[in-house]
Amino acid sequence: MAPASHRTKSSGPAPPSKTLVLDNGAYTIKAGFSSIGGATEPKIIPNSIARDRDRRTYTGSDLEKCKDFGEINFRRPMEKGYIVNWEAQKEIWEHEFFENKSELYCEPLETGLILTEAPNALPQLQTHCDQIVFEEFGFASYLRCPGPTLNAYNDIPHHFFKALAREATQPLLPAEIVVIIDSGYSHTTITPLLQGRPIQAAIRRLDIGGKLMTNYLTRLISLRQYDMRNDIYLVNEIKEATVYMSKDFKADMEVTWKGPKGDRRPLYETGGGIGKDYVLPDYHNTTKGYVRDHDPTNAGKLKKMQTGKSAEAAEDILTLRNERYAVPELLLNPTDIGLRQSGIAQLVMESLSCIPFGLWPGFLANILVVGGNANIEGFLWRLNDEIRALAPTECFVRVGRPEHPIISTWNGGAELAKDVDRLASMSITKQEYEEFGAGWVQRKFNGQ
Amino acid sequence: MINFGVREVAMSTVPDRPGWAYVPDTGLNASVTALQPTSRKRHRTELVGDNSAKQDAKLLRDLAALDRESHRDVSIPVPVRNRDNAGRVSHGKVTPAVRKILQSQKTFGNYLGDFEAHVAAGTQPVSLPPAPNAPRLAPIPASATPFKRSHKKKDPNAPPKEPLRKSSMPVLKAESSHLPIQNSVGEEKLADALDPPPHPRDKDPLLRSWIPSIPTQEEIMKLLTAPPLSYNKAKGNWTEDDRRKPVRQFCEVCGYWGRVKCMRCGGRVCALECLNTHKEECFTRYGA
Repeated sequence: MAPASHRTKSSGPAPPSKTLVLDNGAYTIKAGFSSIGGATEPKIIPNSIARDRDRRTYTGSDLEKCKDFGEINFRRPMEKGYIVNWEAQKEIWEHEFFENKSELYCEPLETGLILTEAPNALPQLQTHCDQIVFEEFGFASYLRCPGPTLNAYNDIPHHFFKALAREATQPLLPAEIVVIIDSGYSHTTITPLLQGRPIQAAIRRLDIGGKLMTNYLTRLISLRQYDMRNDIYLVNEIKEATVYMSKDFKADMEVTWKGPKGDRRPLYETGGGIGKDYVLPDYHNTTKGYVRDHDPTNAGKLKKMQTGKSAEAAEDILTLRNERYAVPELLLNPTDIGLRQSGIAQLVMESLSCIPFGLWPGFLANILVVGGNANIEGFLWRLNDEIRALAPTECFVRVGRPEHPIISTWNGGAELAKDVDRLASMSITKQEYEEFGAGWVQRKFNGQ
Repeated sequence: MINFGVREVAMSTVPDRPGWAYVPDTGLNASVTALQPTSRKRHRTELVGDNSAKQDAKLLRDLAALDRESHRDVSIPVPVRNRDNAGRVSHGKVTPAVRKILQSQKTFGNYLGDFEAHVAAGTQPVSLPPAPNAPRLAPIPASATPFKRSHKKKDPNAPPKEPLRKSSMPVLKAESSHLPIQNSVGEEKLADALDPPPHPRDKDPLLRSWIPSIPTQEEIMKLLTAPPLSYNKAKGNWTEDDRRKPVRQFCEVCGYWGRVKCMRCGGRVCALECLNTHKEECFTRYGA
């Protein structure tokens, strides 16, 4: 049957000249074009329709025009990391890619598409996605693949383990053996890749992502200081600016303890190197908050009001102490909030338990963390430490992250799109979709 | 599940109708059970520590709240555009399938429920629409195989040997992936260079190092071609090791270790001062 398929391929239309690489995350879309000649820089677009308190709506990248993020609300087309609401998703895509004046304008009939999805998607949702891509937009060719797999096309030894760079003349080959920990907005997935292909039986998911951590921080702040439940966007900024992964949880806990009544610890007042003040924006003079070290003499508005003084001159301050490390700690100890799952380190080992022992050394020595949470300070160190404790003694454990963890998946996709032949062998054309139908597409993308 | 002694019998009579289905009732709504797929009843006996059912309910409620997008329900309509094609790219007419997808108001929980019900009933999870043209069965295997073969090409020499040299020089190994042609030659040279000179006690059983055997090509292909797990199966477990460890408790007021338990609600606090703060709220909530 091989010649037959060969004939179909050669008689088919030439592959499209450029490819739209679309890493469709639940929080942000990473999008840009790539072709044989090279790739553009990806654009990071909020994947949401937002409405501020003046009831103005902002679709996708319009959000940067927004000046007042107080009480802003978001509608996100994705739920749990999967595209569920196509009405909103189509609106955002159209706004970003198919309007004449948009920055990433393209004509779908002449463009190929690489679209990422979270692993273990529901077949029904995958089929919806395929139908929309072809029947509504009509892309010339299309590859839908789990996001983590694209990371394998990055030059992992060079960018992440500081080896020699791949020469431009060498053919593109996916990394042979690597574990991708993709920690994003909705969840964290652990995907072992062999030859750039996922070992499906070993993919594991931890239901903790940026969203849950932001919500948790919101709860802590709302209980202890101001009610921030309507300002999730601001809390997310606070989270990105302040949280860190503790190297020694117990010791940090002691530093940030206020001490029993009548015996206040001086370390608590001064912050002990952990306490930080976040100066909140008032959205009149300032639109962005900032962090500074905790200063006990510079009391915030809340404290001034409590002591009965005029609060006019003071700025609004949130003092963060144990919140800073208790929040990311959830990634390694989900039971802290009662979630009955093991932490990332345990899940890496659980994932490896589905793989023959002979491959463990290779996987353990090549663990790559991508996604927004990889930016958390101290995360790699701690993860390395925890996996080290669980892995067999003989194995070498190495955890790394790309320079820009958020766009790493996109970069991999852009690399893949430069290799037109490889991409063509993996993707399907509009013609094939029309001839063989959605069921065939499903099987092909599942590698069956 | 409260079933009043009525047992659910046959799923076979359930028509395979998309849109709705009988789902095994796991006690809570789908978004919560997706997070914690156990019934409340089992919870009461096996939960973390010695919590009461009331506390468990609170825990589940809190977790569901953490999973939400915002604490209020907001509905933001898609902005209305003028439909005169000004500034809007026309993609031809909307097909019925697309219209159905666009108008769907189903949530992820709905889709997951549908999927689980289909799996439980043993039917095809997705009712795939037929191909726009006449579907032909023959080309499927033909065009599906090259997809795999494109990867196979480089398999024969690469995967079984690479992991052997794992920890000693992982960087080299990953790098060698870019030199597929020179692989076999380069590897021998490397092996020669790295092998230490023989030593009389090499055969000593105490000094022998052990390298796990590398899976065969067939085993690796089997791993790579396995179908994806379902959404719920891919969820990470709470491993046995972790179950044995005591769960850390934190003060609900200040976040320090939760060493004291509120007699009234079972919530944890760190010391007397925080307990008093907690009591104010605890007593007003339930009425003193």
